[in-house]
Amino acid sequence: MSETTFMGVPREKIPWYPTIDYDKCNFCMECDAFCPHQVYEHREGDRKLVVANPNNCVVFCRACGKTCGPDAISFPVKSEILTLIKNLRTEELVG
Amino acid sequence: MKRAILSCSGMDKQMGSLARELAIRLNEKTGDEVVCPTLLASLPARYEELLKAASLVVIDGCGTRCASKLANKYNAKVEKKILVSEAARELGIDPESGLTPGPNGLKLVEQLLRDVERDLSEETTPGNSVMELAPPEDFLIVTHDKYQFKIPKEGFLFNENDSWVRPVGDKARVGVSDYVQQKLTDITYFEPPALNANVEQFGELGTIESTKSLLEIVAPVAGKVTAMNMELTDNPGLINEDPYGSGWIAEMEMSDLASDTELLLDGEAYAEVVKRKAAEDAG
Repeated sequence: MSETTFMGVPREKIPWYPTIDYDKCNFCMECDAFCPHQVYEHREGDRKLVVANPNNCVVFCRACGKTCGPDAISFPVKSEILTLIKNLRTEELVG
Repeated sequence: MKRAILSCSGMDKQMGSLARELAIRLNEKTGDEVVCPTLLASLPARYEELLKAASLVVIDGCGTRCASKLANKYNAKVEKKILVSEAARELGIDPESGLTPGPNGLKLVEQLLRDVERDLSEETTPGNSVMELAPPEDFLIVTHDKYQFKIPKEGFLFNENDSWVRPVGDKARVGVSDYVQQKLTDITYFEPPALNANVEQFGELGTIESTKSLLEIVAPVAGKVTAMNMELTDNPGLINEDPYGSGWIAEMEMSDLASDTELLLDGEAYAEVVKRKAAEDAG
């Protein structure tokens, strides 16, 4: 189940989710075992792990990245996302 | 208290081999016993007495944090943690690949050795805690199945990442909520934020590790960290026991509470968030 809003902004409008660097990922699946929100899913083929449910990711949570041995997970810059959220909130209020 | 060193075995990646190198050098400097991670994993009885008597310096190579997990598994007391990959990033040092440490790797090890020696020899300055606050008395209670989550009715504001702020004038105490401490279960380690650091709202205010999980504390307000709760170094379980009182995390000088409040929730609104999260956890 995904959060539907974050601070009053529809979750799908906030681009906060992990990005996997496939040059570094060794498919140990530690991030998937760690995340309780089913952001990741396993696949057949070369890319055995994908970010399948980005909107399940808790906005501003980066904990799975801290469990990544090969440092293959990155997140957006918090301050940029915060500015976006503030702007979207203003739009929602005006709208 | 006696001290011992537990590090990554150093046989998988270059960051691990640097963790191992750091453990060896720290042992040469301090004489503190080194715990072999492989031996601990295969024959824990070998270290049973030591782990009861000593607090550990845990040195992890990478985010898999095998040494931390071993320390957790055997209920060891942890005094200090070092994560080499994170330190490399923060210090802007790019170690050579391969398991034999190269010049950059050794430079990183030397820097970390100086840092850890300093941290272990000095009492870390906790800053000056200036706030004397009575623990809250009136709570909203969110009940979900067998769980009850307390939320102070007044005087506290929350973000959706389960941190609280208790402002008094332009100063504030910050911490994490009862809901998130219960979700983490037994808290085993608290990595405090840097004293005097300027933190943005939603920036990082240290991390909490439990037997089950890891939490980045998301700052409820922007400002400067003026004090840390050093009680948590010896007893991180205070966050479990009393998240709104003696388990506080830090004190801050807030830069703009009025603006930050726009993105904060009062107790009632946060109770709704906890209800939703608890339902999602169960679902």
